[in-house]
Amino acid sequence: MHVGIIFFLVILGSVLFHIFTPWYWTDVASNWGGMDDTITLTFWIGGGVFIAVCLFMVYCVFKFSYKKDRKAEYKPEDKKLEKILTWATTLGVAALLAPGLIIWNQYVNVPKNAIEIDVMAWQWGWQYRLPGEDGKLGTTKVVNINDNNPFGINLDDPFGNDDVMIQSDVINLENNRPVKILLRSVDVLHNWYVPQFRAKMDAVPGIVTYYWFEPNKTGEFEVLCAEYCGVGHYAMRGGVEVQDKQDYDNWLQQQETFSDLIAKQKILENEKTKLAKK
Amino acid sequence: MSEDFSDNKTIQAQSSETISGGGSGITPDMDYVRPAEVGEQDLYHGHSFITKWIFCQDAKVIGVQYFLLATFTGIIGLILSWLMRLQLGFPGLAPFMTAEHYYQFVTMHGMIMVVYFLTALFLGGFGNYLIPLMVGARDMVFPYLNMVSFWSFFVAVAVLLASFFVPGGPTGSGWTLYPPQAILEGTPGSGWGIMLMCISLILFVAGFTMGGLNYLITVLQARTRGMTLMRMPLTVWGIFTATVLAMLAFPALLVGALMMSLDNVLGTSFFMPTILKAGEVLEYGGGSPILFQHLFWFFGHPEVYIVALPAFGIISDLISVHARKNIFGYRMMVWAIVGIGALSFFVWAHHMYVSGMNPWFGFFFATTTLIIAVPTAMKVYNWILTLWRGNIRLNTVMLWCLGFIVTFVNGGITGIFLGNVSVDVPLSDTYFVIAHFHMVMGIAPLMVIMGAVYHWFPLVAGRFLDEKLGKWHFWLTFLGAYSIYFPMHYLGFIGVPRRYFEMYDSPYVASAVGMNEFISLAAFIVGAAQFILIYNIIKTLKTGKPAGHNPWQACSLEWLTPTVPPEHGNWGDRLPTVHRWAYDYSVPGAKEDFITQTTPPSEVAHTKVEKT
Amino acid sequence: MSDIKIEGYEFKPGFKGMAKDTGSDQTMFKGVHWGKAMMWIFLLSDTFIFSCFLISYMKGRGSTIIDWPNPSEVFGLHVFGVDVPLLLIAIMTFVLITSSGTMALAVKYGYEKNKKMCGWLILATAIGGLTFVGMQAFEWGKLIHEGVRPWENPFGAPQFGSFFFMITGFHGTHVSIGVIFLFIYAYKTFAGHYDEGKRGWFTTMKGDYVEIEILGLYWHFVDLVWVFIFAFFYLW
Repeated sequence: MHVGIIFFLVILGSVLFHIFTPWYWTDVASNWGGMDDTITLTFWIGGGVFIAVCLFMVYCVFKFSYKKDRKAEYKPEDKKLEKILTWATTLGVAALLAPGLIIWNQYVNVPKNAIEIDVMAWQWGWQYRLPGEDGKLGTTKVVNINDNNPFGINLDDPFGNDDVMIQSDVINLENNRPVKILLRSVDVLHNWYVPQFRAKMDAVPGIVTYYWFEPNKTGEFEVLCAEYCGVGHYAMRGGVEVQDKQDYDNWLQQQETFSDLIAKQKILENEKTKLAKK
Repeated sequence: MSEDFSDNKTIQAQSSETISGGGSGITPDMDYVRPAEVGEQDLYHGHSFITKWIFCQDAKVIGVQYFLLATFTGIIGLILSWLMRLQLGFPGLAPFMTAEHYYQFVTMHGMIMVVYFLTALFLGGFGNYLIPLMVGARDMVFPYLNMVSFWSFFVAVAVLLASFFVPGGPTGSGWTLYPPQAILEGTPGSGWGIMLMCISLILFVAGFTMGGLNYLITVLQARTRGMTLMRMPLTVWGIFTATVLAMLAFPALLVGALMMSLDNVLGTSFFMPTILKAGEVLEYGGGSPILFQHLFWFFGHPEVYIVALPAFGIISDLISVHARKNIFGYRMMVWAIVGIGALSFFVWAHHMYVSGMNPWFGFFFATTTLIIAVPTAMKVYNWILTLWRGNIRLNTVMLWCLGFIVTFVNGGITGIFLGNVSVDVPLSDTYFVIAHFHMVMGIAPLMVIMGAVYHWFPLVAGRFLDEKLGKWHFWLTFLGAYSIYFPMHYLGFIGVPRRYFEMYDSPYVASAVGMNEFISLAAFIVGAAQFILIYNIIKTLKTGKPAGHNPWQACSLEWLTPTVPPEHGNWGDRLPTVHRWAYDYSVPGAKEDFITQTTPPSEVAHTKVEKT
Repeated sequence: MSDIKIEGYEFKPGFKGMAKDTGSDQTMFKGVHWGKAMMWIFLLSDTFIFSCFLISYMKGRGSTIIDWPNPSEVFGLHVFGVDVPLLLIAIMTFVLITSSGTMALAVKYGYEKNKKMCGWLILATAIGGLTFVGMQAFEWGKLIHEGVRPWENPFGAPQFGSFFFMITGFHGTHVSIGVIFLFIYAYKTFAGHYDEGKRGWFTTMKGDYVEIEILGLYWHFVDLVWVFIFAFFYLW
């Protein structure tokens, strides 16, 4: 008797925990609310099955626990019942799969007007690069990276000169404008993840990976590294500030471009050579 | 040396003369089983202590050896998990707990539990002990190879544990060992540690292959007379299918481990792209880190089922015996096991939805992954339908079975979240994943192992385990483990990433501090509760209630040996002859509520046996 | 080990009959020796190992930044003042395939209990295998002399050296293990262990000519794998 009661309490406790939990999603701050909806759908269907199965089990424990003079039913197979259950399950699974695939289709197809952002990761930090007025990012190579060229831009690539360089782990984004995050890493795997945006993807050294989202809430968000990358993994944080268009444009104006950086370095070098001559 | 061998015995074909008793419908040849097509097995009987107990060729002893060594490594894994939970729940309490150590413990805990504990225990332990007994063989078909298999496993464990004592300590690259970080500085144990891990895995695979060949050929070619494939207990089906998976999946791990060793030692660039480290470009270039992930998960996903399928099989048998009812839909259960096994080779990249592989793969792998849910759900239905109108003994074994159903259904359903590609995106690499796989392939298989220990201990040792201690053990473990992993899903919903040494100070993460303390406390209790079993075993070996023959009134062959515990050679003079499936419980008209597999039809001609 | 009879068993016709035969009691593969069944399954597992190697190779070769070296130049030999592409490999392949033939004959004579012929043919197979390994060592030496290393390659992508040495090395290890067993089996054949059913020193199991066939299976497999390696490395 007590066995059934305890199992029943476990099920009841699970349901109550879900209803009263103080721990749940952060408010979604991007266009991926659909992911939340799919989770909710999965939660209701899956949770329903879980409760149904467990309650059935508890009922069996109450009803059919051992009695010496009773004999269990002898019924090796029930083809009809098995068929019904198979098809019902298949239907339920298909109902869960379909919305998942629809949203994934949106996830892999980036809108044309998305602004590309180069997110460069290393052990253990981030920096960002935006395309300049030409709207295109210059190509890069890991071997080009040095103090004068922190992103490893190919110097002979004309698209690279006006790239906006943000050598900080915080980046600003324009509200309601889709961004395509282009991820690359110079050493190991990383993952640029903002829980409020829901989306994530690994940064893999050697290749460029991508995903996109459209922030729809202004404010500051924390960036976490979501792929284990060594002892500093837990401390590899960054930030995102989503701003309205005007604030964002102001911010963008103040940022340095690659050609600014080269020019600055040339001045510095000239001064150095002058000093040396003296 | 020849006196070490039993003389070749000939098996007499059972003739119709043996039919006795009267009743309607008895025909002279209804008990006929065709004569043996496989000759008597030639066995080596050890005489000295060393050949009998250490370098032993008896599958039952090898099974116990596997069981003990796997349990020993499992306890190390358990202690590592305690240390991890200590850090997560109460950071700073243990002064030696640096990030390096934390990640080393994470890695070793994962690898030990998945490979060296669960796989070795289910296939090496239960497989060795139960397969020959359940299919009616005298021993595994290649006893010598079987012995070498265990000792390879022994060396593999020794190498693995040796990595705790080498410079740099064990590898801290996570149990997935992803390159490039596994062999780069910045990850603990990037030199010696990862090397020993690779060597240990290669040894494990080699040893397992020897054992696996034994399990497969014993099931395929050495069954006793009358034991058709569709009369085998589901335990054998589960272990058999899992072994097939292992034989085909471990090669990918072997190749991955070998290539990573070469990257590490010789400086090849299989998995290593151009890497900039501390301002310097390393001498690597052109390799693909994702290739390793494909190799690893081509092994890794079937590995999940290598653990799960034996658990499915064993739990089916335990539920059936203790509910005094045939397993519902046996044929469906067999096909579900085989189907899950086959499908498990086409789903591996669902571990890699956000790994940066071509995102179009997501459609394919999400679909295959959710298809697997159907046969798995069928198994769950059949377990609970077996309870329906049964006559359920609520003993310790049954408690573990019920615990298994709850945790497995819970973990299976969270698997649907993670398998469905776009639902996985926000949840992957968070605590939701940890909660999911611990529930479904940590706690659920553990429930099965415990149930199986309480069930088969009377066979192995001839004595019952103490029921009262067993119930304490169960409730502490089940309630404790459930309260560890159920709330943990909600950490994942918040977005807490896994493998974080400290939760740091993000506002939404900070809200979970209390939960982390609670989870840690529960983890300490659950871990400690396992020592109840050890105490129970030690106590029972001396003073336990003697079990006698077939104490659970089971139908399957392993309980029908002439001596309990069974001796080397299992069956005495004469191999058993099988007349029916292993689940004839509560047959209407029968005197008792079970008909053993060896009962000839003429003896039960008056009953309403539907399936043989 | 075990002697097999299938008296009293009648094979059933059709697909359903085949399913019934497969699921029938005692054995799935009627009349197949345990050791032979084991070797087949082991080889299936080994096939997966080599497949993983070759698929990794294809992926690696497909995604390198630096060009892959031209095989007919790298593997060419300069003989009598002429550059002959793939000469050594052609000979190696020929030798290995021939040794498969001698192996098959050895199995035949083994079952005929022709101890002498069987033993000599096993020895011939072993020598074929040894020649193969020797020539492979020569080729490794040549490549190493030319500067090819597992981690670098003067002719192009460094992955060429990595994959070449790893995969041919792994295959060469298979051949070498086979050669060792061939020598042991040749000794056992000449010594008559299979005729008198003498027990093995390690396994304590009775000797039988079927063991030669089991080793033959392994040998043919190693040969077959070589054909794939040949195609993937030298012809692609």
